[in-house]
Amino acid sequence: MSDQVAKDYTQDLPVLFPYPRIYPEQYAYMCDLKRTLDAGGHCVLEMPSGTGKTVSLLSLIVAYQQFYPEHRKLIYCSRTMSEIEKALAELKALMKYRADQLGEVEDFRGLGLTSRKNLCLHPSVKREKSGSVVDARCRSLTAGFVKEQKERGEDVDLCIYHDNLDLLEPHNLIPPGVWTLDGMLRYGEQQKQCPYFTARRMMPFCNVIIYSYHYLLDPKIAERVSRELSKDCIVVFDEAHNIDNVCIESLSIDLTEESLRKAGRGAANLERKITEMKATDADKLQNEYAKLVEGLRDADQARDEEAFMSNPALPDDLLKEAVPGNIRRAEHFTAFLKRFIEYLKTRMKVLHVISETPPSFLAHLKELTFIEKKPLRFCAERLTSLVRTLELTNIEDYQPLQEVATFATLVATYETGFLLILEPYESDTATVPNPILHFTCLDAAIAIKPVFDRFSSVIITSGTISPLEMYPKMLGFTSVVQESYAMTLARRSFLPMIVTRGSDQSQISSGFQTRDDPQVVRNYGNLLIEMSKLTPDGMVVFFPSYLYMERVISSWQSMGILDSVWKSKLILVETPDSQETSLALETYRTACSNGRGAVLLCVARGKVSEGIDFDHHYGRTVLCIGVPFQYTESRILKARLEFLRETYRIRENDFLSFDAMRHCAQCLGRVLRGKDDYGIMVMADKRFAKKRNQLPKWISSALLESDSQMSVDQAVAASKKFLKMMSKPFPARMQDGISTWSYEDLMEHKRKIEAERDREVKNGEVNGDDHHIHGDVVMAEAQAAEDDMGINDDMDAAMMEL
Amino acid sequence: MSRFTQPKAAPVSKRDPRTGVVQSQDGELLHSHMRLMSLHDGKSIPTDNATLDVCPVCKSARYMNPSLRFLVNPECYHKMCESCVDRIFSHGPAACPIKGCGRTLRKHRFREQTFEDIKVEREVDIRKKVGATFNRREEDFETLLAYNDYLNDVEDITFNLINGIDLEDTNRKFEAYARAHGKEIEENAQMAVQERQSFSAAQKLERQQARERREAARREEEEEKREVEENRRDVLNRLASGADAETVAKEGQRVQLKKRMDRQAAAERQRQLQAAEDAHSGRTSKFVIKGLKTKQKPEPEAPVDPFGGLRLVDSYFTLQDDYVWEGIQEARKDVKQTAGGYDVRDYAHRSLVAAFSGLGVFVADEVTERDKLAQSDEAVGTARADVGLKDADLMTAP
Repeated sequence: MSDQVAKDYTQDLPVLFPYPRIYPEQYAYMCDLKRTLDAGGHCVLEMPSGTGKTVSLLSLIVAYQQFYPEHRKLIYCSRTMSEIEKALAELKALMKYRADQLGEVEDFRGLGLTSRKNLCLHPSVKREKSGSVVDARCRSLTAGFVKEQKERGEDVDLCIYHDNLDLLEPHNLIPPGVWTLDGMLRYGEQQKQCPYFTARRMMPFCNVIIYSYHYLLDPKIAERVSRELSKDCIVVFDEAHNIDNVCIESLSIDLTEESLRKAGRGAANLERKITEMKATDADKLQNEYAKLVEGLRDADQARDEEAFMSNPALPDDLLKEAVPGNIRRAEHFTAFLKRFIEYLKTRMKVLHVISETPPSFLAHLKELTFIEKKPLRFCAERLTSLVRTLELTNIEDYQPLQEVATFATLVATYETGFLLILEPYESDTATVPNPILHFTCLDAAIAIKPVFDRFSSVIITSGTISPLEMYPKMLGFTSVVQESYAMTLARRSFLPMIVTRGSDQSQISSGFQTRDDPQVVRNYGNLLIEMSKLTPDGMVVFFPSYLYMERVISSWQSMGILDSVWKSKLILVETPDSQETSLALETYRTACSNGRGAVLLCVARGKVSEGIDFDHHYGRTVLCIGVPFQYTESRILKARLEFLRETYRIRENDFLSFDAMRHCAQCLGRVLRGKDDYGIMVMADKRFAKKRNQLPKWISSALLESDSQMSVDQAVAASKKFLKMMSKPFPARMQDGISTWSYEDLMEHKRKIEAERDREVKNGEVNGDDHHIHGDVVMAEAQAAEDDMGINDDMDAAMMEL
Repeated sequence: MSRFTQPKAAPVSKRDPRTGVVQSQDGELLHSHMRLMSLHDGKSIPTDNATLDVCPVCKSARYMNPSLRFLVNPECYHKMCESCVDRIFSHGPAACPIKGCGRTLRKHRFREQTFEDIKVEREVDIRKKVGATFNRREEDFETLLAYNDYLNDVEDITFNLINGIDLEDTNRKFEAYARAHGKEIEENAQMAVQERQSFSAAQKLERQQARERREAARREEEEEKREVEENRRDVLNRLASGADAETVAKEGQRVQLKKRMDRQAAAERQRQLQAAEDAHSGRTSKFVIKGLKTKQKPEPEAPVDPFGGLRLVDSYFTLQDDYVWEGIQEARKDVKQTAGGYDVRDYAHRSLVAAFSGLGVFVADEVTERDKLAQSDEAVGTARADVGLKDADLMTAP
């Protein structure tokens, strides 16, 4: 349609929305976002996948930025490279649209940041395959001391792209505008300047920064990259349903014998370097020593972007304190490290499982090696300083050593929320020990706490983060707005079903008591055969684990089920190997595009389940075989469950079920990527019947009561009916006013809302502005009960329209 | 079917070079590389597994004797197997059988090696010794800088001892410190012991509590399950007895909802209580009194004084060590006299006290004093007699 529809007033803020039509849920989403920003707090928002979450987010926040004089910066964090690129492209389109509409180009800068590997231009460095090698080589060409050496006339290599940056004005390295990663690379090549450092250095001068979670959550990186961001930034975590796991992973460390050996070698190397330096350049060590005595942390060294290691989350008061006297001298410190590594090696020799808390670990450590807690705490910090003093360039060799130092610092800093688990054998049946020392973070709140403390507005959003109240609990924050949006649909474009029985009326489940039961396996096989017969084009099947998938596939093979599937579809399998999987995916897409059709068998926690979209004909049916519970025998998981129960009062079963359902929802959401898309979602396990109210609102509201206890043949009949309906042509105009709004519809809606409010005011039953907050538990309960009772009214209305 | 197997078969040929099969080869290479390195460094300690498992004395290997145990003696840290130790040292101290060592070792000092690196083993032993002496705490120092300097000095001494730099000088320093601060060292050591004990007690308590909480959670869950089951049975029973299905179902749901809400409310209350408690305890634990650095040690307890402050000082004479008098010279030398602890000076002292006793006592004064006392006694006596008389009068008067 035309451009005049563009303006969309959310309350008092003029928002330019770059599409002629807006979805009702997008409007609601923007209203809630604005409410959060005005209130200055955190929020959790769930919006169905494929309803334009990113664009509504960006357009509202950009409008907000430009409208208010503070120009609050937006930090948009996403999960994968492709999502970052998508968001950048959206932002670019949005800004172009704004410029067209407003008739002037705003002074606006939007940048994306990713690793050196993706942004390097140096002719030889960029050819390296591994990210850490690129990082290390880049540092050896760009570090501050290398430059000093060059100035002293020594023969060292420098990166010309990096040096050119110093010739430019430091606050204007790149002209205003939105720069996609590709655009940055091209501009860098043109101007012969390094895109990575351009982005890093321009971060304080940007209006929008788009990068990966890790730059904000991983304390090892966040310290360096995200230090200078001001307090009033708006932080958005998109696709945040897994954010607690990201937090935990960023603070967990696994040590193996191999890595300890390497760390030991690193310490020995350091020692050698120190003796060398003592012979040639003793002043430098002396300088460092003097600085440490004073306890002064170099102000500019902290900001140094070349710093290669940085300390994990440390309390601020510790950072200001002086390094303890017994690791002040370089040689004392290396001896200290060696001793610590030897101790860890000794611990590794134990042949039974040990799980202990940091305090008891420290007590034992002190008893055996006389290492106190305090110097241990400063380990990472001290190592960074030493490495800088020694001017080491081949930093990748010291990676394991750094890991050990980080471990030392963390174990001495946090008394609770962490656990050490030593597993001497890889599996229960293994006889040759291969010990791993897991230092696991149990508390997701630790890593994300600095973010919540520092920024006033943090927005956590995803397509599937139900139940919403779980996240504030686990991450330790209070939210001002918690909202889940249903999907407004002009016709029923997806069909969620729960299949609990086979055609022979015996129940199906992937629970471990029955999972090897041939009857269950056969019933699953029959379901697969039937669905593959009737599904057009692509079909995706999710299993709870690789192990189970392999077992089922081999029994299907012997039962001849795969042969029958083979008649209608190609069969492709996901494996743990990423290259193989991407090959399978490519084949799958080809098969779907050329009409042969294919079935992709994959795992609910694998790569395919996250971040790969099966839009339109790439996925018409998604079949979830079994509830994707985590492997509950894992000691790490057990420890975490216990911690959650003790600290946050989340019960084991609640958490496990929540976790399984969020993965399931993620899998189901893969197939529906927009309002013109359609698909069948089948959950095949009897246990799903009880968990249906844990699904995101948009799925559970579309799941009819009659569809939640089906047998295979009923499901087949329903799917056939559904597909028949979908095959009718459905012109876009039929969606107008229902699932898409033009400007007039929007204004109409606003008038209605206002009228409603007026009436309420008249009746004197106003409960403030929050007449549509469902965050309240009571309301949610009531809602769930209501949903259980009957068919959702909205859905009915939508059906009537047809 | 062939298409199906194809992607499955792919892993072996196209495996990522960083994972799986290739890595084991990588590990092999690294291993041999490491051996080269250690040789290059000129270290005498073998890191290789093959030599690690052979006794350097009798050459028996773990391959032949899986229960082989190696022991070291902190005298020279040479490793040998248990049977060698038994064989060589069971008849008393002997020289170390390792070539070029020859130090005398005793069997009871042999022990199992804790650390893989023998150097670290030795270092830790030295640290144990140093740590037992230099055990000052951060609270003992006025400033952090002073404490850090102290730590640095201690580390220097330790380092010198470990690496054999200025051994003599360092040892002297070490001894001097130990002598000078013996008392404090003991105090701090005791404090450390106490700390350790209280820590282990706290740990134990914590474990116990965790176990109890786990148990409670399990019970609660069971309870809940049972309740649901009961509810269901109840509904079924009522249905069986012919109640209206609709109302029964509705009621059942209502009851369940109410129960759930109750439970949630209880949990919420509990949580708030907990939060309040946490906040409270947090405040008290965070409360810090400034200026507590200089610790007031308790005054040493005064010695017991049986005379209650009465001081008996010889004011008229001073006791000499020796008196020139025949009578005591004999006793001084006689073992029979002195063996029981008899000291001639006691005799001299007693004699002197006897000689001077009564000096400064004036008899005249004492007599008047006594008289006065006696008089008053008499007066009292007469008075009492009078009273007695009067009483008698009274008795007889009526």
